[in-house]
Amino acid sequence: MDIFVQILLNSLETGGIYALAALGIILIFRTSVTTNFAQGSISMFSAFLATIVLIRTGISPISAAIVGMLFALLIGVLVDYFVISRAQRVNPVSKQIITLGLIMIFLGLAPMLFGTDPLQFPRFVYGSYSFFGATISYNAIFNIVVGLALMGILFFALQKTKWGLSVRATASNDVVARMMGIPTAQVTRASWAIAAALGTLSALMLAPTNSVNLSMMDTVQVTALLACILGGFTSFYGAVIAAYLIGFASNLLSFYVSSIWSDSILYLLILTVILFKPTGIFGKKVIKKV
Amino acid sequence: MNSKLMNFYKSHKPYSQFLLFGIILSLLPLLVNLGLVKYSLLTTVASILIYSIVALGLNLLLGYSGLISLGTAGFMGMGTYLTAFITADLGLPFELALIISVAVPMLIGVLTGLVSLRIEGYYLAIATLAISEILRKVFVEFDFVTNGFSGKQAQYPKLLGFLQLDRNGTYILIVFFLILVMVMMHNLVNSHTGRALSTMRGSEAAASAMGINIYRHRLLSFAIAVSFSALGGVLYMHFVKYTYPNAWILMLSLNILAVIVIGGVRSISGTILGAFIVFGVPDLILKRLPIIGSIDGAAYIFNGLLIILVILFYPNGLINMRFDIQRNFRKLFKRGEDLNG
Repeated sequence: MDIFVQILLNSLETGGIYALAALGIILIFRTSVTTNFAQGSISMFSAFLATIVLIRTGISPISAAIVGMLFALLIGVLVDYFVISRAQRVNPVSKQIITLGLIMIFLGLAPMLFGTDPLQFPRFVYGSYSFFGATISYNAIFNIVVGLALMGILFFALQKTKWGLSVRATASNDVVARMMGIPTAQVTRASWAIAAALGTLSALMLAPTNSVNLSMMDTVQVTALLACILGGFTSFYGAVIAAYLIGFASNLLSFYVSSIWSDSILYLLILTVILFKPTGIFGKKVIKKV
Repeated sequence: MNSKLMNFYKSHKPYSQFLLFGIILSLLPLLVNLGLVKYSLLTTVASILIYSIVALGLNLLLGYSGLISLGTAGFMGMGTYLTAFITADLGLPFELALIISVAVPMLIGVLTGLVSLRIEGYYLAIATLAISEILRKVFVEFDFVTNGFSGKQAQYPKLLGFLQLDRNGTYILIVFFLILVMVMMHNLVNSHTGRALSTMRGSEAAASAMGINIYRHRLLSFAIAVSFSALGGVLYMHFVKYTYPNAWILMLSLNILAVIVIGGVRSISGTILGAFIVFGVPDLILKRLPIIGSIDGAAYIFNGLLIILVILFYPNGLINMRFDIQRNFRKLFKRGEDLNG
């Protein structure tokens, strides 16, 4: 029982990291109609910036995270301004390739600006707490709560605010939304900014267990994309639920089967699920008109 | 005699062009032996040619089916490890290793395709990304076959059991395979299948209304792309003679994609040009420049920027520049005539 509680708690933390990244990918997919492969690289880049600020100025990790997320907002805006907004007439495949080109740029810039050595980013809070025989660090509780709260705020904003309405309108039909007077260009730009910030937060939550390095987000990026497939690209919440499910499955597999192969087995499992449920667990079938 | 040769050249285009290209490439070892060019240039050109083979396969996939594979590096790496295992560890002949090392990755590719190609096109990119991660894990963890991080070695190939090739011989073998692949691609694109693929590119809905099985053609082009990647891997292994897990990262797959986008989608000569730009320019030019050359990652930034710029401003690839230059020349001359008249 205590092992199971432990796994459940760990899953909430890893699932939250995946969910934040996946939510960013979905947000961009719905507004720009492209799978953003560069999400992980942009997050890694901003995480480096946050860590450098932390090391140079000695501010607290939480303030450094906020600074990093602000940087990420700026990077998102710049990426949209210089690249994505100019690629509106480009076909979806080429748009995907553009995001792949962005990976190359960020992966090339990072070692140039920050060096090739991995950096350490501390936990947000220290200490741990035991109950039911399971131990959970305050940092994990902090990550879980912040992740859930942020996603809660975002879902609330998507459903209840004017901004959320315009995002949903842009997502459902870009052209009609523009005709209705929704500034779709700004909505898209905001989505890129918010997605970058969400990814950066997930990178900084992951950083203490690993380190801040060039390949830190590789696994998260693949997992988040698979979460979007599993949850279906058609809804915002599907990917988030799928991300938590994947986090849970990943922890179960690494405890009961093999810690080395857990991710590989998980990827194969997800691909098998897609074989039987092509639109994802929560996805709706999209009917294409000719 | 000379005009006869010219006639033959003109009447057998583009095969004669491919042949001529092959002959020119084959002269390189001679130049190296004469001391006219550097020894290391042969390695650079050989790797460019290997990446051209890989990119030609991927060009079919991207150009005609509009699909992206991010597993190129993984499948290429799989080819290197398989052929190294079969020739070095098992001591079996090179030809057998070539067949098995191409067939096994192709089989895995087809299985991946079976799952992901049924739905939207962008699923393949994500599925191949996941497969590539799994393959890299296998390269690291199956150390009783792959030697883990320390890497695995192989020798120059021995053809038909008695013809032991050296460095130059292996280079010629690579040129031979490149020309073969170019001819195959040309024939395929101009065949029944090629026309079906072209129709698919125009409109998938219209193509399927005309009775073209989209799923099967997507699967076919993906299988070809994977097998060319694996072929490239086999040739790489027997030329470089060394493979290790970190050579087969996502960055390589992205570079191969850059080759196609920058050179020219659906163009054989464009692919070759792209390979020379993506893999040649950083090696031959960028590294020699005073400040930029010493910076890590300059090549990545160069290729990444070039991808984005080409897509935004020159979507048909740099190979089409020659037409633009011709047109501008003509305009220039015309203007001159106008002024004279």
